[in-house]
Order: sequence, then C-alpha cells, then structure tokens
Amino acid sequence: MKKTPLLLLVILAICFSTNAFAVSAVKEIKPGFIYVGPVGDAGWTYAHDQGRQEMEKLAYVQPATFIETVPEGAESARVINGLVRKGHNLIFTTSFGYMDATIDVAKRNKDVVFMHCSGFKTAENVGTYFGRMYEPRYLSGIVAGKMTKKNIIGYVAAFPIPEVIRGINAFTLGVQSVNPKAEVKVVWTQTWFDPGVERDAADSLLDVGADVLTMHQDAPATMQAAEARGAYVIGYNSDMRIFAPNAFLTAPIWNWGSLYTKLAEEVHNGSWKSEQIWWGMKENLVQLAKFSSAVPADVQALVAEKTNAIKTGSLHPFAGPIKDQSGKEVVAAGQIPKDGDLLGMNYFVEGVQGTISK
Amino acid sequence: MTEFLQIKNIRKTFPGVVALDDVSFTVARAEIHTLLGENGAGKSTLMNVLTGLYHPDRGQISIAGQEVHFTSPRDSLIYGVGMVHQHFMLVPAHSVFENILLALDNVPNLFNRKTYKDKIQKLIDEFDLDLDLNTPVWKLSIGAQQWIELIKLLMRDCQLLILDEPTAVLTPQEAERLFNVLRRLKKQGKSIIFISHKMREVMEISDRVTILKKGRSLETLDRGDFDESRLASLMIGKDKVPQWQKTLQMSDEIVLDIQGLSVRNDRGLSDLDSFDLQLKKGEILGIAGVAGNGQKALAEVLTGLKNTNQGRIMAGEKDITNSNARYSYIAGIAHIPEDRKTIGIAPDMSIDENLIMKSFKSGSFRSWIFQNKKAIRRNAEEKIEQFSIKTGPDGTPVRYLSGGNIQKVIIARELSEHPAVLVALYPTRGLDIGSAGYVHKVIADGADRGMSTILIAEDLDELLKLSDRIAVMFRGKLIGYVNPRKTTREEIGLMMSGETPGDAV
Amino acid sequence: MKLVIERREISSALLRFSAPIASIGIALFVAGFLLLASGVSPLAAYKEIIIEALGSIYGLSETLVKTTPLIFAGLGVSLAFRMQIWNIGAEGQIYIGAMGATWVALFSGIQNHWLMMTAMFFVAFFCGGLWAGVAGFLRARWQVNEVIVTLLMNYIAILWVDYLIYGPWKDPKGFNFPLTAQFSDTARLAEYFNTRMHSGFFLALFCALVLYLFIERTVWGYEIKVIGSNQKAAQYAGMNTGMAIFFVLFLSGAIAGVAGFSEVAGLQHRLQHGISPGYGYTAIIIAWLAKRSAIGVVIVSFLMGVLLVGGDSLQLLWQLPVAFVYAFQGLILFFLLASDFFIIYRVKLVKGVVHA
Repeated sequence: MKKTPLLLLVILAICFSTNAFAVSAVKEIKPGFIYVGPVGDAGWTYAHDQGRQEMEKLAYVQPATFIETVPEGAESARVINGLVRKGHNLIFTTSFGYMDATIDVAKRNKDVVFMHCSGFKTAENVGTYFGRMYEPRYLSGIVAGKMTKKNIIGYVAAFPIPEVIRGINAFTLGVQSVNPKAEVKVVWTQTWFDPGVERDAADSLLDVGADVLTMHQDAPATMQAAEARGAYVIGYNSDMRIFAPNAFLTAPIWNWGSLYTKLAEEVHNGSWKSEQIWWGMKENLVQLAKFSSAVPADVQALVAEKTNAIKTGSLHPFAGPIKDQSGKEVVAAGQIPKDGDLLGMNYFVEGVQGTISK
Repeated sequence: MTEFLQIKNIRKTFPGVVALDDVSFTVARAEIHTLLGENGAGKSTLMNVLTGLYHPDRGQISIAGQEVHFTSPRDSLIYGVGMVHQHFMLVPAHSVFENILLALDNVPNLFNRKTYKDKIQKLIDEFDLDLDLNTPVWKLSIGAQQWIELIKLLMRDCQLLILDEPTAVLTPQEAERLFNVLRRLKKQGKSIIFISHKMREVMEISDRVTILKKGRSLETLDRGDFDESRLASLMIGKDKVPQWQKTLQMSDEIVLDIQGLSVRNDRGLSDLDSFDLQLKKGEILGIAGVAGNGQKALAEVLTGLKNTNQGRIMAGEKDITNSNARYSYIAGIAHIPEDRKTIGIAPDMSIDENLIMKSFKSGSFRSWIFQNKKAIRRNAEEKIEQFSIKTGPDGTPVRYLSGGNIQKVIIARELSEHPAVLVALYPTRGLDIGSAGYVHKVIADGADRGMSTILIAEDLDELLKLSDRIAVMFRGKLIGYVNPRKTTREEIGLMMSGETPGDAV
Repeated sequence: MKLVIERREISSALLRFSAPIASIGIALFVAGFLLLASGVSPLAAYKEIIIEALGSIYGLSETLVKTTPLIFAGLGVSLAFRMQIWNIGAEGQIYIGAMGATWVALFSGIQNHWLMMTAMFFVAFFCGGLWAGVAGFLRARWQVNEVIVTLLMNYIAILWVDYLIYGPWKDPKGFNFPLTAQFSDTARLAEYFNTRMHSGFFLALFCALVLYLFIERTVWGYEIKVIGSNQKAAQYAGMNTGMAIFFVLFLSGAIAGVAGFSEVAGLQHRLQHGISPGYGYTAIIIAWLAKRSAIGVVIVSFLMGVLLVGGDSLQLLWQLPVAFVYAFQGLILFFLLASDFFIIYRVKLVKGVVHA
C-alpha cells in the first residue's frame, strides 16, 4: 500500500497545523469581509467598506473579498468558512450576530486571524473590536439639545441591545447637559436595515412634535424624513449630509480605516495577538462629522471644547451621578462605570422616553 | 333542404384517448336534429368542438357553406352557434333583464335600454313564455331559468341552437312547453341540435337522429326510419340491456318511518316541510317531483349529511334523526348521491381506494393501523368482475372512467355491505341505456333480497317501470302516493305542480 | 393564427420527469446571459456551484446542513397540501418548536443525553403542533381561512421568541445581548466529520420515511388522501373531516416544529433572533415542486440546498452582488414553476377567425 505513508503524513500535518498555533508574520495579507447589509446602504456597512478600501492601500494587502447581506446566526458560518477555504487569512466579521459562527469557524481554522466587530467572545485567533461611539453620541446630544425648540427629540433605534441603549443614553446625557428640559423619545424598529420601516418610525416621531431627529439605523431613511418635514437631523455611521442637505446638523461617524490598517500591519509583522479593542475619539476610530452651516458658531465652539475634554480624558459621558428612568441612582457621583458595565448597559437614563422590553 | 352546419371527419384526441374518431353529419335549416349516444360516445367533446372550446385535430366545420375555425365560444357565437348548457350560467341576484344584457356584445347604454327591453319583451310574447323581466333570477323555477338561456341566444341572433339534455330538469308539462317553443323556432328557420336520453322525447321531436358510438358517427336516420327499439339497438350495439324481473314481495314491515320532517336551508327557506314517508321492507318507493323540491334535502337528511329542524326518522327500532353519515352507514342506509362526481368519489384516487371509502376502517381492510392492500385489491377485483366495471390499468384515477362506470363503482361500494335501505338520487341521470338498465337491475335484484329503496328520479318512465309505489313531492311536502300500475302521467304531472289528488280532475 | 391554452387530460410520466429538468436547463441558460453581462463565464460559474456544494466533504456537509431544516419544514407543509390545507405558517412553527426545545435544554435540568434529546424532540413536536393546531381548530370549527391564520401567527411566533431572548431567557452572562445561554453538550445533536453536519439530517430522512408510510400505507393516510381529493365525498363517506383537518394541521406544524429542534440542537446551540432565514417560506415552494410526495420533498430540499450553498460561491469568487444570487435563485424557481404549467396545460397554435 503505497498510499498509507502519504496518508499518515497528511494526518500528521493536520495535527500539527491545528495544534501549533502561533501567529507568525504573514507576507501577503488576503483580507475577507462579511457585511450584514449592502455596501450601498450609506450606513454601517458603507462605513466598514470605506475602512476596507483604506486598508487595501497597504502594499502587502491584496484586494479584499467582501460578501454582502450575510444573514446573522448559524447561516453565516458557511460564508465565513468559504472565505477561509478561498485562502483568506484575515477575516473581519462586521456584525454582532456573527459571533458564534466566527468562534466556530476559528476553532477549525487556527492559522487564520479573525476580527469580530461588537461582540464579547474571543479565542486565541479571534479578536474583537469596537468603538466608543457613545463619545461622539454625547457630543451630538449637545448639538441636539441646543437646536431643539420644542424640547422633543426623536430617536429611531434598531434593537434594544446594549450598544444601542448606550448610544441613546450618551446622547440623552449630552442633550440634558445643555437643556435639562428636553426629552428624547425612542421608537424601536426591530431591524437594522429596512428603509420603509425606518421612515415610518421617523414620521411617527415627527408627528408627535419632535423637531430634531437622530437614529441608530443603517439606512438614511430618517434623514430623508426630517428633510421632507423641515426638522433637523443628526446622522449616524457615515456622513449622510447628501440625503438631507438642509436638515443635516452633524453625525457621529465611524472611521474604521485607521484600525483596519493597524490590524493588517500587526498581522503582517507578526505582532498581532487576540485582544478586545475598544477605541474611542482619542484614537480617531469614532468622531463627529463636520458641522453643517445650520449649527451656530457658539454651539460649534462648545462641542469643540468638549471634544478636547473627552480626548484628554477629563470628560467621560457616563461620569456619575447618573439616574435611571425611575430616578434611581445607577452611577454614584464621582464614579466612572467600568467597561464591562458599559458593554452590558441595560437601562435608560433619566430623560429618555421609551421602554426596553424585558 | 338547405344545409346550415356541416361537420366532416372530425377527430379529436387527448393523450392516450381518442375522444372523437371520425364524426360527420349535417344539420339543415329548420331542422331539429337529435344526437344520440351512450356516455363516452363523444357527445360532450363534439359539443365542445362546435362551441370552440376544443380544437379538432382534423376535419372540417362549415357554416352555411363557409369553412370555420373556432378558438373560443365567442367565435362560434359570431357565426350564430349557441348552446344551452345543463348548468345554467346566470347571476342569481340579478334580474332576468340584467342577465340577458350580460350575454350581449353591445351592452346598451342609458338611452337605448328601453329599445332592448322592448326587443326582449317581444321575444317573450312571441313564444308565449311566462317570464317577467324584472324578477330576480333566484326566484324563478328551473324551467323559467332555461327560457332565459334560450332568450340570450336568440338575442344574439343564433341560427343554430344546441340543447344539452334540456328536459332533465323539467316537469313533463314544462318539457311539453319547451317542445312547442322548439317547434316554433324550427318554423322560423332555426336549426336545433337536441341531446337527450329519453326515447319518448327523441321520438316525439326529432326530424333526424344521428347516432354516435365510440367517437364515430354511426348513422343518420330520417323521421320514419327509426323507432325506439331500432335506436336503442343501434346505440348500444351488441351490448345487451340487462334483463330483470321484479317480483312483488313487499311485506308490511316498515323499515323507515319519517314523521313531520322539516329542514330549513341556509337562506331560511324550507327544503322539507312536515314531510312524512313510510318505507316498507323490500319495497321500491319512487319519489316523483321536479328537481329542487326537496329531494336532495330528503336524501341528505336520511344519510346523515344534514340535520333536521323538526321531525323524526326511525330506521326499524333505531332513531337516526340527526345522526352523522358514519352512523347512518352503520345503521344500514346506503346512498347513491345525486352528483356522482362531486360527492360520490374521490376523483384522484384509484378504483381500489374508492371502493373502500366507507368500509376502510373495517377489519377486513386493515391490519392494526395499516391498510391491507392485498385485501383491498382482492375486493376491487371481485367488484370489477361482479359489476363489470370497465377500467383502465390498475391504479387509474376514477375520474378517467366514464359516467356509467363511475356510477357502477359507487353502486358496488354502496351495496357491498348489504344495506337495508338504499337511497338512490337520480341514479341513472346521464347514463346510457346499457348502464341505466344495469342500475335498474341492481335495484330490482336488491328488492328481491329484501332491500328497500327510495328511488328519486326525474324520468317518469323510469319511476313507473321500477317502483312499487310512487310518492309525489312538491315544495318539500308529500302530496300523496300513487300506484304506478293505475296512475297516469298526467295525474303525476299535476301532483308535481302541487295539486293534491283530490283536486285532480 | 392564435395561441391557445388547453388543459391536458393526462400528462405522461416522461413529461412530468423531463419538464423540471428542462426548466432548470433553461433557467441556467438565461442566467448565463446575466453572468456573461457581469463578465463571468457561465460554465465556470456553474462548475463552481457544483464543486462548492457537492465537490468536497465540506461542501456536501454544508449542503446537507442546509437541506435538513428544509426537509422537515417541507414535509410539514406538504402533508397539509395533501389535504388541500395551506399551511403558510411553517416559519412560525419552526420558531415555536425551537422555543420548546430551548426551554427543555436550558431549564429542564435533564442530565442524560438521550433523555434530553427525546424530551427536546417531543416538546418541539407538540409546541409546533399546537401552534398550527390553533389554525386547524379555527378552520375545522368555524371555517376560518387557515392561510390567513397560519401566516399571521408567524409574526406572533417570531415576536414571541424575540420577547423571550430580549427578556426572560436572556443569557445572564451575555452582557445583555439578546441571546439565550449556549446549550450544554447534553443538549446537542452529534456532529460528524469535523463539519457542522449533525444527526438532524438522518432524523429528517427518517421522518420522510415515516411520513411516506403514514400517507401511503395507513388508514389515516387514506383518510387524508380522500379528504384531499374530495372533501364532500369524505363527508358523504362518513369521515370526520373537521377532526382530520385539525389533526393534519397539528401534525404539519409538529414536523415543522421539529425543524426548530434540529436547528437549535444541531446547529445553533442557542435560541436567538433569526434562527430561520425563511425556511418556512422556502418549504412552501418545496412542497409545491415536490408534488406533495415525501420522497419528492427530500429531493427538492437537497436541490434547494445546492442552490443556496452554491449561490454563496458566486459572491465569494467573483464578487457578484448579492442581488445577483437572488436573481439567479429566483430564475430557477420561476422556470420550475413554469414547467408545472406546461405539465398541466398545452399551448397550441391554431388557425383562428379574425374578430371583426
């Protein structure tokens, strides 16, 4: 049997390849991306795709493969595995729902580096990354608080998960820091990307009198609703001003390029290790888009001042005292909540009108 | 004699079936031409070809000397060929006038509405029809509804009228009026194709008769060249009409006693109104009445398909009032339903499976939860042999069988458990002479064995020939009993229109 | 001349067999032009689909993983179709079945693997069954249209599961993310060949076999067939059609519910939003194409699995937009359904009169 030794060799090779994990320097990086929406969504996926393009400028990074509109859940494992099988060695899975699938595929493919966005599970070849979006959210709240006349601000939100709740709370704290009388009304859409549903939600908020809107969605429907009804709007994900040239104020936006470039460099020179990256404004992962001319100079100056404070660490949006909707103190004066508490945030602060389903 | 319609060498096949093989005949102007043939001889396919529903594979149709190709009923109407179907196409909630307008190509507008109304009224007067244009259709008798269908065709100026078994739903008196109208139409130069099974009618009205057999036009006979027996023997050929002899052996034991039965339908009208009936052991009790006078409700109540509002049904000692279908079956009541294709069979299933539809739960056809396919097959083989059912290869869905054979399947199933009472609703409707004779024989043989039958039929000849007693129904009430050997057609006809025997002159 | 559509009296076995194959061929041909327009060689693309879905242990395993829930749901829907009952609610029944199985997995405290599997199976079975049974009861009792009821109950089921995972069943260690805790190994189906293929697949095949025997061999199957063929005849024959309608919808939903069990116990190992990306709706197409036969459901589900798994590779290899993959799958379904039309009807060119 000539084949037997060969077979043994193969088995041995498999054993070694699976056991001997160590991220060694990778000469040529072939990146793959799993997107939850279409790259043309102008939102979340669009922002990631901008980051991908910036990363591709590195000489040793080959053109990336990206797959759009991959359903979350177990379904995605096959697509992630497909990227692995086509020889991709740095894979970004850019939505929370890919967490289990990423870990599952990573377990079987230890020579590939995985980066999962917004989750909490890591493995030796899986790192997570996310941004402290609550920082620019807080700043955008200041703008909203200053701009509202009716003191009703509408917030179109996708799912009641910690990431979204954190954004709503930071925004509201920003609003109340300059305008304690203003309230933030929340409407859930139960979808990340559905322009029709988002538009309906935005319209319903305008109907109850909101004159400034913001949203945590991937489509620009809220922007368009505000433009059509003459309200102000604060975007999200990417600079969406073309959708609402008159209504647009600013937008907390993602800037994934710098992080993606850094990760590619690390994998290239062998210094990558699994960690949970949570960058903020200091690292420029998140920022506030350029103000439109509708924002008065004094507001612009105030926000610039606060931006500096956040970057230097002298201002933390969630610094105590903070009360929840029922008036109970959840963060004591002088306290700053730990990252773990922020990541699992599950209550609304005072000033939010809305409920989290329990 | 000028020919209006000429049909030459028409052939129409469906995959695996030759429906029409080679059909030729002509219909002259001012002629009533009867088409006679067993079921499956190709009459309905031929009519569908003539009215443009099917397209012949071969052959020619000429109208007034011009060859035509019909692709839809509209085409045939343009050439003046129209048909009165067995099932009327009327909107019940609309008035007579509106129903007629629906059938016209040029729908009148507000201004010439009156002209149309006058035109229709003229037709009604001309033929002496008893029809009010403003009555909603649902209030009319079946006979009157048939007038509407006829007027529709006349309003379109049809030259050739096809009537598919038009007398099936009429009282003898109504049928006679229809014949008068047909004769008048003939005088005006119209051609009429008449389809019927009732020999008496064929003899009475036909100028010529064309006999269809197995998709071929066998022969066309002129008036004077045919009599009943000649036609019958041509039509069924070598197949003999089964012979049967009925012995009078009625006992006085009452097997079914119906008292004061009342049933209301969905519209709240009475289908049965304090109806009484006694059925004796071994008796064939004929029920005469115009269709729609409660016969169907009576059968459904007896077989557990409908509930009563009042009254009582006793089967021997058992009270079966408002029992369900399964219980009536167990109590020994078998049922040949009126509409054999829509109620009597599961059309997509094989003969084997249809034959056990009522007995599939019984021990012989099952072992534990499984069906005993061998026993089911054996049962089918027996029944096919015993009732000489003509069938395709094993497993052929029954809907491919001819009407007569479907009826045999139903009868074979209903009689297999030796029921005490058979409720037979129009059991020979649409059957050819051979099959109808067979049904009669089965009923008569059953009576010999002590089975009692309630025979609901529309053909008075059939009732007179077969029944021991005849009960006449009108509007859900029992008008009275007559003795078939002493009564006259006229007496029954009057009772069918509601006159009690005492009123009859 | 004029085109005329006629119903065929009998459609030949050859036609029934060849028409779907021809229609897939035509669909591939038409889709080929789309591929060409996107600068991709159709032959290379089709080869890639086949290789991706069938050409390796891995590909095959993924195809079977995809096939498994489709078989369950397809069987459920097709059973109801047998009786002319339209169960549009398989999607919701999958969710409710998954919910039942998850409840057992997380809260029953059973330690024995086989006992756990059995309990999860039956709870999923009854949950799915009762969910569909509501529609069955309404239909049998008050003639409420089951299409509407089953369809609308999908939304209830999905939102109910959402409520559980956002609320009471949320993993306490999950940073408040909307997930239940992961199942312990006791509550997981066996996996094979270091792939994601799990024993749910064999359970699905077994289910298909049992259902086939149930329909073709048992007394109840016979009753269902009679009612499906002609409900009036069934009533006339003394069958309790109301009871049968309830029973069949119950069973239909129960089998779809087992799909939920197989998905959570075999693949996802937890309950979360979007456990079924529309399997319940795909199942309707499957049941339709399978002509109501249990064996047909298995075959069509497998083809659908190939299509779904292979379709991914178009995105992967050539970066075709996802819309293209949808269009491609849609084309194939469209032509398959069209072939159905040609099996039932014929189209003829005939000479016709000219309407004045």
